[in-house]
Amino acid sequence: MGDDDVANATEFDAREAKKAILDYCLGKGALAAGVADLDALERIAPPGHRPSDIMPKVKSVISLGVGGQTQGAWAVPAKAMGYFGSTETRAYTISYGAAFFIESKYQTPAIYCPPDMDNEKGPRVPLQSLKLHAEVAGIGARSLAGDILLHPEFGYMYFASIFTELDLPPDRPMAQNPCPAPSCVSMYRQIGRTPCQKFCPVQCLSGKIDEAGKQAEMHYDMAACAEISQQYEAVPALLAEAMAAEDAQGREEALFDPDNKMLWYKMSVGSGGLLAQCFECMRVCPIATKAPLADPIRRSKAKAEA
Amino acid sequence: MAQGLNRRQIGVTTAMIDSYGELIFEMSHNKQSRRGDPIRELDFDAIEATRHERGMSDGQIGEQIGLSEMQVMYIRAMMERRRFHTNHFQRLLELGGGKRFREERFTAHEERFQYHDDALALRDAMSFDPARARHYSEQGWWNNDTLSGLLARHAADRGAAAAVIQGETIISYADLLHRVDRLAGGLHGLGLGRGDVIAVQLPNVEEYVISYLAIARLGAVMTTLYMPHREREFETLLGHSRARALICLADAGGFPAAQAALNLKLPKLQRVIAIGEPVTGAVPFEDLAGTSTGADSLDLPLPVAADPMLLLYTSGTTASPKAVPHNSHTMLGNGRLGVGAHQLGPDDVIMSAPPFGHLFGLYALHMSLHNGAANLLLPSFTPPDLAAAIEAGRATALLAAPAHLAACLGLGLFDKHDCSALKIVILSGSAVPEEMARAASAKLPNCEITQLWGMTETQGGLYCRPGDGIEISATSAGRPAPGAEARIGEDGELQVRGSMLFPGYFDNPDANAAAFTHDGWFRSGDLAAQDGNGNFAITGRIKDIINRGGVKYNPREIEDLLDSHPAIAQSAIVPMPDKILGERACCFAVPTDQGGDPEISLDTLCAYLLGHGIAKTKLPEHLVLLDEMPLTPTRKIIKGRLPLPETG
Ligand code: SF4
Ligand code: SF4
Repeated sequence: MGDDDVANATEFDAREAKKAILDYCLGKGALAAGVADLDALERIAPPGHRPSDIMPKVKSVISLGVGGQTQGAWAVPAKAMGYFGSTETRAYTISYGAAFFIESKYQTPAIYCPPDMDNEKGPRVPLQSLKLHAEVAGIGARSLAGDILLHPEFGYMYFASIFTELDLPPDRPMAQNPCPAPSCVSMYRQIGRTPCQKFCPVQCLSGKIDEAGKQAEMHYDMAACAEISQQYEAVPALLAEAMAAEDAQGREEALFDPDNKMLWYKMSVGSGGLLAQCFECMRVCPIATKAPLADPIRRSKAKAEA
Repeated sequence: MAQGLNRRQIGVTTAMIDSYGELIFEMSHNKQSRRGDPIRELDFDAIEATRHERGMSDGQIGEQIGLSEMQVMYIRAMMERRRFHTNHFQRLLELGGGKRFREERFTAHEERFQYHDDALALRDAMSFDPARARHYSEQGWWNNDTLSGLLARHAADRGAAAAVIQGETIISYADLLHRVDRLAGGLHGLGLGRGDVIAVQLPNVEEYVISYLAIARLGAVMTTLYMPHREREFETLLGHSRARALICLADAGGFPAAQAALNLKLPKLQRVIAIGEPVTGAVPFEDLAGTSTGADSLDLPLPVAADPMLLLYTSGTTASPKAVPHNSHTMLGNGRLGVGAHQLGPDDVIMSAPPFGHLFGLYALHMSLHNGAANLLLPSFTPPDLAAAIEAGRATALLAAPAHLAACLGLGLFDKHDCSALKIVILSGSAVPEEMARAASAKLPNCEITQLWGMTETQGGLYCRPGDGIEISATSAGRPAPGAEARIGEDGELQVRGSMLFPGYFDNPDANAAAFTHDGWFRSGDLAAQDGNGNFAITGRIKDIINRGGVKYNPREIEDLLDSHPAIAQSAIVPMPDKILGERACCFAVPTDQGGDPEISLDTLCAYLLGHGIAKTKLPEHLVLLDEMPLTPTRKIIKGRLPLPETG
C-alpha cells in the first residue's frame, strides 16, 4: 500500500466514494446503480436471507442493473427467446469488478453478492433477493407482471449486488411506480386485463388496478410460470419415468425422446436455455420494450441527440 | 436428503406429505400475491401484515403450521415434483410469440397432438422397407407433396384457373381452397382430426372433391364406398376401417344411405354427414361447408406426406377385407410422375369416367392436383353423358375402363359429339380388347389411346406412353411407371415394386404373407408376358388358371375368341372343382340377344373354338348363360361371384 492510498483512506468522504463506485459501475456498462438502505433490507428480508447473514459487518448494499434485451430480441418469436439465458452474466461481471474496485481503492472488504441458490434453504430459494436490493436502492419497482422490476427509463433490467463494509449514504426507493403504464390502464379499463396478464401463455398473472390507475393487487402463480419456462424438475422426473417404464422401448423413449435428449444436451454444455423464463409478459410490456432508454437503439439515439 | 439428512432422519412420513403437501405448496413462493406497493413505499407495517401473501419461506411456513424448516423444505420439494409437469416448455414454443396468443383458442399442447389408438394402429401399418424408402426419397420420387400443399400452391399461383368443372359450374383453385378450408374447419368442429378415418360414398360430384381435400387438410384418412354398396358393405367396411364419420347422400338413388348408416349403430361411427334432404341424427353437409371458422384460421397443423391419407378396399364383402393404406408418398408421387409420363400440363382438362371410389378415378384427381389442371366431373356414367361431357367440357385427357369406351364406340357417340380436344385416353380396369383399342384410335385420330395397368395397391403401375403408337398400346399395358419396377415370376405372375406400392394390408397379416415375395415384390395375381421392348401384356389372372388333370392353361385366349363371337356380348371362363381331374373349365356367357340365342350351346361354342385352333383339352365343359355379369366399378367381371353349377 502506498502513502497516497493511506491518505485517501483516512480522508474518506462517503459521498465522494459513493459517486466513484456508482460511476465505476455505470462506466462498465450498468444502466442504473444505487445504494440500498441496509436497515430496510434487514427488516424486510426473512431471517437467513438478510445481508448480514452473509457478511456480518456489511454496511452498504450497492445494486446495479444492466440492459435486459436488445430491440431485436424483443421482436423475435418466443422460440428464440427461450434460449436467451446469459444476459445476467454481464451484471455479475460488473459487480465482481466493483467489489475489486472498492477493496483496492478504499481498502475495505467488499463482496460480489452470490446470485445462487441457498444450499441450506433448499431448492428454488436464493441466498439473497437481488430484486429487493434493487427495489430499495431505487433502481426498479415491482410490476404487475409477477413483480418483475421495471424502470421508467431503462425498462427491464438484470440486477446484481455488491456488499461492502464501507458506509455509503443510501438512496430511496422510487417515488413512483411506472407500472401500470397509461396504455395498460386503458386496456385494463376495457377488457379487465393488462397486456402482461392477457398474453402470459399459462395465464399465471392476474390483479387489479385502482381508481387512480395504481396497482391494487398483483397475483402471480409462480409455479405455473416456472413450469413453462424452467426445467429443473425435468431431469429427475425423466429418470423416474425411465425407471418406471414397462419395457426397453419405454425406457429408450423416456431418456432419448427429442425433448429429453435436448435436456441432456443443455445440461452437458451448461446452456442458458435451462434457466430462461418465457418473458412473454415483458415482450408485450410497453415499459420493458418502449421506455425511452429501453434498448441499445433507443439509448444510442438519445446519446446522439444529447 | 435435506442438509445431509434423509427422510427418516428428519421425520417426514408419507402421511405428512399427503396431509401438508398442498398447503405448503400454496403457502410457499409458488403462489404470490401483493396488495398495494408496500416495499417501495417502505411501509413496514403493511409489509409485515401481508408477508404471508407474498409467499413465505420454509422456516416461516414451519412456524405457522408446526413443522420444522427442514420438514417443510422436504415436503415442498416432493410436492413440486408431483405438481410440476416436465418439459412444459413445448407449450410455449408452440404458441410462437405473445402477440399470437389468444386464450379462447388455447388448447393444451398434449391435447392438440393426441392420436387415438385406431389412428396409431393405422400409422403403424405404414411400414416401408427402410432401404426402399431411402431409395425413393433419394430419387425424388417421394417428396413432401400433400394434397393440402398442392391446393394452397395452385390457389396462390393460379387462383383463377378452373379446378373443378361440373356441368355449368366451374370452381376455381382459389374458391376450392376456400371451400376446403371451411369444410375442414367444420369437420374439426365435429371432433374429427388427424388420423381419423372418414368414409365417403358419393358420386363424382364437386362435394366429393371438396370432401377428399378437406379430409386431407385435417390429416385424416379417407376410405371410399362404391355407390352400389349397401348395408352389408357399410357394416363390413365402416367396421373394419374404424371409420369415425361417413359423408354420403341422404338419398342415393332410392337407397337411404345416411339413414342406413345410422341404423347400423356402429360403435366407432360417431357422425353421419348427409348431402340432400335433412336426415334425423345426421349432420347436414351444408352446415359444415358453411362453417365460418376455417382450418387455417384455427391453425390446424398441416399434414405431411408420410401421414396415411387413403384406406381403400379391394372388395366389399369378404370376411377379412383387404384394406390398402396409402400415403401422399405413394399416391401423389405416382400422380406427379404420371403427369410427366402422360404428358399432361396445367392447361389440361382431365376427366375420370370411373367413380372416385375407385383408385383409378382418384388418379385423375391426383394428377390434376399436381399441376393445377382442371378436373371435369362425370357424376354418373352413361355413354351419352360421357360423350356429351367430353364435348361440353373440352376434355383433353380421359381415364376410362375399356367398357366405357366400348359403349361409346358401339353407340357411335364419337361421330355425334365433338371430342377433338381429347389428346389422350388412358384405359384401365380390365383387359383391353385389341380391336376396340384400334377402333377407338381410328375414331379419335388426334388422340393417343393408351393402356394402364394398376391395382388398388399400386395406382398407376405400368402404362403406355404417348408416342408408343397403337401397335404397342392396343396390345400391351406398356412399361413400368417412373419409380416402379416390374418382373415376371416363375409362374408367369406379374410382380411389381416401387415408390407407388402400398406398404401392406392394414390389419390382415394372412393377406400380407401371401401378397409379397420373400424379397419384397408385390404379387399382382395377374399373368403377364413381356416383349423385347420391355412392354408388358397382361394375359390373365393367376387365379383363373385352369388345372385340368395337371394340364394348366390360361383361359384368356379362349375368352377373347368367345367375346368376338357374334352371339356373345361377354364371356368368362373359370375353373370348377372336379373329383377326377381336379378342375374343369366352366364357361359363363351373356348372349347379345338377351332372350337367349338358340345357336349358343356348349357344342356350337366348342365347334367355333376348334375351328379357331383351340386344343381339345382347353375346351369348356360347362356352359352357363347369364343376363349380365357381376361387374366392378371399372366394369371388370368379378369371377368370384359367378354362380358355379353343382356338379360331381
Ligand atoms: S415469464 Fe412467461 S409464464 Fe412467467 S409470468 Fe411472464 S409470461 Fe407468464
Ligand atoms: S404490461 Fe408492463 S406496465 Fe403494463 S401492467 Fe404489465 S408489467 Fe405493468
